[in-house]
Amino acid sequence: MTAQNGEGMEKRETNRDSGHRLDQEFGEPVFTELTRRSFLKLTGFGLAASLIPGCSRGPSEKLIPYLDQPEGILAGKATWYATTCGGCNAGCGMLAKNMDGRPIKLEGNPGHPISGGGLCPIGQAMVLPLYDAQRLQTPIIQGEKSDWGKVDREIRDSLAKIKRSGGSVRFLTGSLTSPTEQKTIQEFLSDYPGSRHVCYDPLSQSAILDAHLQTHGVRRFPGYDFGAAEWIVSFDADFLGTWISPVQFTAGYQAGRILESESPRLSQHLQFESRLSLTGSNADQRIAVSPEQINQLITALAARIAAKAGQSVGFSSPSLKPDHKAKIDELADSLWKSRGRSLVVCGLNQFETQVQVNLINHLLGNYEKTLSLLKPSNQCQGNDRDLAFLVDEIEKGKVSALFVLGVNPVYDLPGGEGLAQAIKKIPCTVSFATHLDETARVTRYVCPVHNPLESWRDAEPIAGKLSVTQPTIRPLGKTRAMVVSLTVWMGNKKEEYQVMKDTWRTDFFKRQKTDSTFGRFWDRALHDGWVEIDSPVRASTDFNMKSIQAVPKDPVISADKLSLVLYPKIGMLAGQHAHNPWLHELPDPVSKIVWDNEASLSPETARKFKVEQGDRIEIRQGEKKLVLPVHIQPGQYDGVVAVALGYGRVGTDRFTRVGPQWLESLPTVAVGETVGKNATLFLSLSEGRIGYSGSEVSIRPTGEHGELVTTQIHHSLSVPAGLAMKGMPKRPFVQETTLEEYKKNPESGSHPVHPKHDLWAGSHEYTGHHWGMIIDLAACTGCSACVVACQAENNIPVVGKDEVRLNREMHWMRIDRYYNETSEGTDVVHQPMFCQQCDHAPCETVCPVLATVHSSEGLNQQVYNRCVGTRYCSNNCPYKVRRFNWFDYPREDRLQNMSLNPDVTVRSRGVMEKCTFCVQRIQAAKSESASSGKPLVDGDIQTACQQSCPAGAVFFGDLNDEKGLLAKLKSSPRRYRVLDDLGVEPSVGYLRVVRNRPEPRGVKHHD
Amino acid sequence: MLEFGLANRGFTVALVIGLLFCGMATVPALSALRLPGNDQGYSPVQPIAYSHRLHAGELGISCLYCHQGAESGRYAGVPAASTCMNCHQFVSSTIAAQRAEDEAAKKEERSPKRVISSELKKLYDALGLGSDLKRVPSKELKPLAWERIHKLPDHVLFAHGPHVKAGVSCQTCHGDVQRSERVRQHSDLSMGWCVNCHREVNRNGVDGKPVHASTDCSACHY
Repeated sequence: MTAQNGEGMEKRETNRDSGHRLDQEFGEPVFTELTRRSFLKLTGFGLAASLIPGCSRGPSEKLIPYLDQPEGILAGKATWYATTCGGCNAGCGMLAKNMDGRPIKLEGNPGHPISGGGLCPIGQAMVLPLYDAQRLQTPIIQGEKSDWGKVDREIRDSLAKIKRSGGSVRFLTGSLTSPTEQKTIQEFLSDYPGSRHVCYDPLSQSAILDAHLQTHGVRRFPGYDFGAAEWIVSFDADFLGTWISPVQFTAGYQAGRILESESPRLSQHLQFESRLSLTGSNADQRIAVSPEQINQLITALAARIAAKAGQSVGFSSPSLKPDHKAKIDELADSLWKSRGRSLVVCGLNQFETQVQVNLINHLLGNYEKTLSLLKPSNQCQGNDRDLAFLVDEIEKGKVSALFVLGVNPVYDLPGGEGLAQAIKKIPCTVSFATHLDETARVTRYVCPVHNPLESWRDAEPIAGKLSVTQPTIRPLGKTRAMVVSLTVWMGNKKEEYQVMKDTWRTDFFKRQKTDSTFGRFWDRALHDGWVEIDSPVRASTDFNMKSIQAVPKDPVISADKLSLVLYPKIGMLAGQHAHNPWLHELPDPVSKIVWDNEASLSPETARKFKVEQGDRIEIRQGEKKLVLPVHIQPGQYDGVVAVALGYGRVGTDRFTRVGPQWLESLPTVAVGETVGKNATLFLSLSEGRIGYSGSEVSIRPTGEHGELVTTQIHHSLSVPAGLAMKGMPKRPFVQETTLEEYKKNPESGSHPVHPKHDLWAGSHEYTGHHWGMIIDLAACTGCSACVVACQAENNIPVVGKDEVRLNREMHWMRIDRYYNETSEGTDVVHQPMFCQQCDHAPCETVCPVLATVHSSEGLNQQVYNRCVGTRYCSNNCPYKVRRFNWFDYPREDRLQNMSLNPDVTVRSRGVMEKCTFCVQRIQAAKSESASSGKPLVDGDIQTACQQSCPAGAVFFGDLNDEKGLLAKLKSSPRRYRVLDDLGVEPSVGYLRVVRNRPEPRGVKHHD
Repeated sequence: MLEFGLANRGFTVALVIGLLFCGMATVPALSALRLPGNDQGYSPVQPIAYSHRLHAGELGISCLYCHQGAESGRYAGVPAASTCMNCHQFVSSTIAAQRAEDEAAKKEERSPKRVISSELKKLYDALGLGSDLKRVPSKELKPLAWERIHKLPDHVLFAHGPHVKAGVSCQTCHGDVQRSERVRQHSDLSMGWCVNCHREVNRNGVDGKPVHASTDCSACHY
């Protein structure tokens, strides 16, 4: 709008008001006064601008139907396939939801013998790796992309050479639950005399297997039944979070904790641990001890139980601290009373300790009652002794060919660098990796395998329970299953489907009686996702009392040093999920830290070393050192520093730009760096075991401060200290009681609701449905599966570390974790928090554009296309559950976008969003009900969080359905509503926490 | 020196008169004006000149024969080429054309050839079929790419199933497709149009049958 002619210039020169030449100061004045020309230009422009979009149409879109319509496929309608999760070795059953030919969501398979219908956060996140652009697409020879023909030729040549020269072939895998893969590997290795299949777990529990070999004569991992146990004692085993098979154990654990019944019963759970684990946070009683003390406590308990059983053992009880002694005495009495109905588990990978645990379980008569060697688990098969032997062989150059599947020894074993050099010297090395991981970088050949959602596979996680993995999409790259590669190298190529079907036909079909033909058996397996077969296992020998020995004394940690505990985090485990951004952004259930691993210290220890949250400390052990930010963890044992494994994976700098890029944004991870640091250098592989805890380290503050991003105090419901009225009591968000009190008075633990001040006249009337939800806090373990389930279902973006730091994480479902300091230690409660769908919703009142309004079925609807982003609603929400799109979050990865749910709008910048009770599922079910004419009943609609919950803690339904489950739970004496005295009438209720412990302790929650 | 400013009364009067004239000049074109995103009347040329008038009108084939999804699914769907072949493996041209060929063949004392109309040839080409309607392996399979006509914004989720089940006829929204050679967008597919119909059927039902049509935002927006 510049006026370059004489008139305009003249005009500016004679600007009387300003008194000086404006153009000298500000250049061209644009709209100070409207000239005729500019007016006409504006008019013309405006008219044209309003006409252009009115006349045009967006780019033409094509509708491309099938040439040949497959049966049962309808555009926009989901198909479901039963398959098995490949996230860890637990083998949970999944249902993969396929939309228009691509899997978009994974759900638990109800009735699956392992998982029982739930999934863990990893299981929920397993859809993302399928669409990972960095997954290897082609085979690689010495770092160069190649093709299968060349790879096969070269490998067959070198194998032929090895065969002639009698070289040794080693197959290194993690625990292998697939019978077909086991069999194929055996067949392959049988061609090479002296070859071996070595199996190890990066999170090793080899000592449990070795101990059973010693005490029961069989090297087996027992199948645990937490549901059958009335007394559960866990020594450092995080069985609800990361240990062996958390979904299965959570379901079992909850089976022994039933409150909503005529005769409520709760198992007693006592946890001894040095850090604060998820399992410890759920225990009825939790005692923080050092790793050395755990050994002593087990010995003391074993000695007492042996004395009660009249059994003489070759060791005596060590002297304990008085309070520990009293606890162990009491525990021994309780366990002795619950013989055959108790269970003692231990997560320490220490042989002598595990032998004593076996002794305790044996003397208590728990074998074949709460833990079974006749229905053993295959989920953990690793043998540390074999591994140590193999590492020695590799280092001495005695191995001619090494095949690596499912593990990453260069990363997850101590001394990885040395191992890498040794592996490079092996003539023929093959990695079956999916990514170019640490090990694949040093092997000669990389033969990438399919994603579990692309492949045929089977699993027998528990003897006799066969689970099927079936493809849900064609392989996206030129990947090939390991068994196919082996058959090619054996000279007789067979597809994995054929290999698996043949194994099933010859080995498993005859071991069942349900189906008369193999076709039916196979179809049933594919339909249900699993089948049961007879599994004759050799009986174990009688308990070998002679095997019992004293636990060697642990080295004493000197006063100025700390005891190091290495542990896995719930999303990362041993590091195999380092390429999954959902799991990086999932707040740790206890520390709430995202995108990092940290050095946890107890508050007392932090004071002693004069460090604060986020300070960087150097952990040192001899020559090994690692610098990590400090996290101050209440409830942790003083004198322990806990560090998570599974971080510092190569290639994680891919997440540098994972969040929105704006002027002040900081990268999630610096270029060339990794997410977190690798702590495996502190692992020890000596005396035939991988050691995780108890080694002595020294720490030293470096004086630097690193940002440790945690969601701990984000969206806090507490009234800020400066705003709280004097004498105002702290808000009781979580109510709890003890079993004894509960039996006396079912309403015990409730807090008086202050008189409600209702700003809203009258109530909504719901003539049809009224959707509501109840969360059973006594069942919720805080595992966070729901958080990832919600993210997958509702297209929730990943925002990156820096945005989380700015309080801008987008998770609709968060789990509030409250600590409660008592004289006996730190209590933890977990409270899932999401939109409470208030009847008198404060958000609705303040929206100036009616973008959030009440539905006739009790939902607070959020209308994205109407929202203008004033954020008043979020400001007025007492539960702080609304999330604002500060950016158009990166959706550039078109491959990753394949995992988006087409039923849910992808929100754009400047729009508020929140939990909608999975309204897309409500609508789909209503639509289905309208089409079929069948009325909706309980269970027809399952929200994503409810479906995923391994503990069955989430209930969703129609509050108006008088016979429904929700109406029943609504009248439970345990039910309360959070911040009920605000009078906002939420549709979400919570069932009070009930702990099975002697007496109530003071309840003072803090963030 | 002349000044044109808003303070100048003469200028204002001239402006208003000018605007009035401009307004009057656009009146005849106003009916063609519509809101952005409104594609009412859109009727693109399709890859095959398929006639709904012939198939649905003259031959009386049910809409759901080809658009099965409308009954139970979200999308009515465009039929697969295999659906067309249910009939068009026998019918490859108009009967008149085939009769003419038969006559000609009789006259010339040869066996009649199959007559393939130029439009149906496109279908057979897509399926890789030769002149005898048998698969020719060397021919590439090329799915047909139809032009999409009815399109809702991404933040609207519409399902055909419940509407068809409630007894809403196809013509209510799509107009007299059975009389049109080429499909055009009959309704404006605006939110007001949707909501008015929902309100209307809540009062009067669909063909007298009472129905519950939700007017909640989350009926379509989520």
